[in-house]
Amino acid sequence: MKASYRYAIIFLTPLFFILGILYFMTFWTIYISFTNWVGMRPNYQLAGLKWYSYMLSSDKFWVSLKNNLLWLVVFIVPTAILGLLIAYVLELYIVRGESIYRTIFLYPTALSFVVTGTLWAWIYDPANGVINSILSRLGIDTSHLGWICDPNIATYCLIAAAIWQYTGFAIVLFQSALRGGYLKSIIEAALVDGAHGWRLLWYVIVPNIRSAFVIVAALLAIFSLKVFDLVYVMTQGGPGISTYVLAFYMYMATFWKEMVSLGAAISVVIFALSMIIIIPYSYYALKRWLMK
Amino acid sequence: MSPVKTSYLVAAFIIIIIIVGVGAFFAGRATAPLKTITSPITSSAPGTSTTSPGQEELIIFHWWTAGGEKQAIEKLFQIYHEKYPNIKIVPNPIPGGGGVNLKAVLMSRLSAGIPPDTFQSLSGAELKSYVDAGYLQPVDQIWKETGLINHVPPLLKKVSYFYGHFYGVPISVHRANWLWYNKKIFDQLGLKPPTTVPELLQVCKTIKEKMPNVWPIALGMREKWEIVFIFDDLLLYYGGPQYYQRFYTGRVNFNNQTDVKPVEEALQTLETMIKDGYIYPYSASLTWDQSVALVAHGKAAMVFIGDFALGYFLANGYKPGVDFDGVPFPQKPTEVFLMIVDEFTLPKGAPHEDAAIKWLKLLADPQAEFEFTKIKGSIAPRLDAPTNYPDKFRQENVKFYREHPNLVIPMSAHGVLAPLAFLRDYFDLMAQFVTQPNVDQTIHQLSQLFVKDMVKEQSEWYWSQS
Repeated sequence: MKASYRYAIIFLTPLFFILGILYFMTFWTIYISFTNWVGMRPNYQLAGLKWYSYMLSSDKFWVSLKNNLLWLVVFIVPTAILGLLIAYVLELYIVRGESIYRTIFLYPTALSFVVTGTLWAWIYDPANGVINSILSRLGIDTSHLGWICDPNIATYCLIAAAIWQYTGFAIVLFQSALRGGYLKSIIEAALVDGAHGWRLLWYVIVPNIRSAFVIVAALLAIFSLKVFDLVYVMTQGGPGISTYVLAFYMYMATFWKEMVSLGAAISVVIFALSMIIIIPYSYYALKRWLMK
Repeated sequence: MSPVKTSYLVAAFIIIIIIVGVGAFFAGRATAPLKTITSPITSSAPGTSTTSPGQEELIIFHWWTAGGEKQAIEKLFQIYHEKYPNIKIVPNPIPGGGGVNLKAVLMSRLSAGIPPDTFQSLSGAELKSYVDAGYLQPVDQIWKETGLINHVPPLLKKVSYFYGHFYGVPISVHRANWLWYNKKIFDQLGLKPPTTVPELLQVCKTIKEKMPNVWPIALGMREKWEIVFIFDDLLLYYGGPQYYQRFYTGRVNFNNQTDVKPVEEALQTLETMIKDGYIYPYSASLTWDQSVALVAHGKAAMVFIGDFALGYFLANGYKPGVDFDGVPFPQKPTEVFLMIVDEFTLPKGAPHEDAAIKWLKLLADPQAEFEFTKIKGSIAPRLDAPTNYPDKFRQENVKFYREHPNLVIPMSAHGVLAPLAFLRDYFDLMAQFVTQPNVDQTIHQLSQLFVKDMVKEQSEWYWSQS
């Protein structure tokens, strides 16, 4: 007993150290959001809710919030559904070369966002990009298809690029869930009973894949709240301010406007939103773990 | 484990958090005067000293990484090295036009108390933000010793002078209000380059009618600031140089109909240009050099951007007077030189102050300025520098610069007049205007923005000096 206690302390101390810094930084940021730090030199004097009211009165904040919520819904749902469908097909219908297909689907996830962003910015370019070139060859009038130059659909174009990148990630997670002992035995039983295709997916797999779905949804939700690179590389929040997201606004406020307290206030908002998502998930996961 | 031992762990956890937190707080805090580093730092991280004792160093931060700029700064390094062969130059180029990324890096270094020996900055309010933070030393001595103080236009002195001292040494002056056009298209249609706004609109109309596949005006809004170049030219036409300076220092009275009129007219003209299809519609996906490329390739006829476009044209083999040409805009009622100045500074606690001072003195040397700007595409700040630039555009710049020093005013988009905090929101506002022009709403939002970002208070320095 005593020996294992000592080992526990030795191995856990570095972890606590890092966690300590992490939590400290979080609280420090929250503190900064109540100060008046503008400019190059840190200023720790308290200024109350000044920057929160600045943030709430800027239309960029509300556009960012709306866009992040849009990302939450429009990004997670298609990625998860596509991930499940493709994982299902790969797991149950493709016998040879299954790992090759999985690798192909997983390649985009390995790309950095800067690469993805640059690539898709070129694809979406209204004048010379791939999409409009192909469409105009097919005879479709592309002068109204501005893609990322059209403020109304720009965010959706960005989300499409992110779905392309993260579907592989969802596929891998769902495939491992389909191979897990519990689900695998249910599927085998159903196959013996003669279920296949759509019925197998809808009536057998979907009701039992909830835990994997929650994991995928939670991870994708965290990504949606943090999305920055794609916006920075593809549109810089443009055209106008239509693709602004909270993380980009935070970066812009901190480093370009040098209003560090404003950036801290925005990061507190991101943190609060993440808490709203993480707490139910943690509660759910903890409950399941304690039940076992 | 028994409950007692678990609570020991929790207690250990909390104690470690507190120790780490308090320690990190005090370690990271930049309090009173920055400590002077007297011995070379021997780590090999970028930007720090890598030499053995005895060899001097110059740690320099700049953002000139694009073609043309890179060669120019390397020429300066070469001149410096010839003069002081035992000083090793440690350049830290950080890509990002206008120094957006440089500032982010500098913010952390300066507040942590490890400044470089010298770093690049723009002038005016931008430079003042470093001064206000207490990170810079005055360079009055350098201005006096090199005679810089007597050989620059008054406005250049004003944007480097704060609280009774000079804080930066200028090295290059660009002119922002140029209009570049595709000479072949103009010759084909028999057009002369416009000098006023009505002429500009007429030229656009002609191009649109006779050559429907060519966009009259190119624009690259990827980084959002390019629209300000067009807007500034329009504002200069409708309001004049004095009004321009008042506008960008927050002194236009938005409640007074007469005072707002030039802004209104400029925005209305811009709205007309957008609605009549004179401006390239997919501007959101282009960077500034891609918009210049549109003109070079004949897909657009004109582009409003500074004389740094000259570097793009020449580097890609286009011939002035044959493939492209340029005129200052507007030329009536008052022609103005919208100046963009790059300076270098002397931080407090610079590890090799001696080397930095030598560098700054070199920058103020007329011949060195000429050598640098010849490659860069700009002109020398000093009025007594050589003037034999190879192209006519810069000769015109130099001529105007020397003959009308009182019409040399700072350009808005680099944080010289209005601080960058305002400008970033301003760029977003103008970018929105390009996608959905609405003059009244934009004017209303502008008036609110000036107040919200405290432009008037922060530009007191500009008007209070003689």
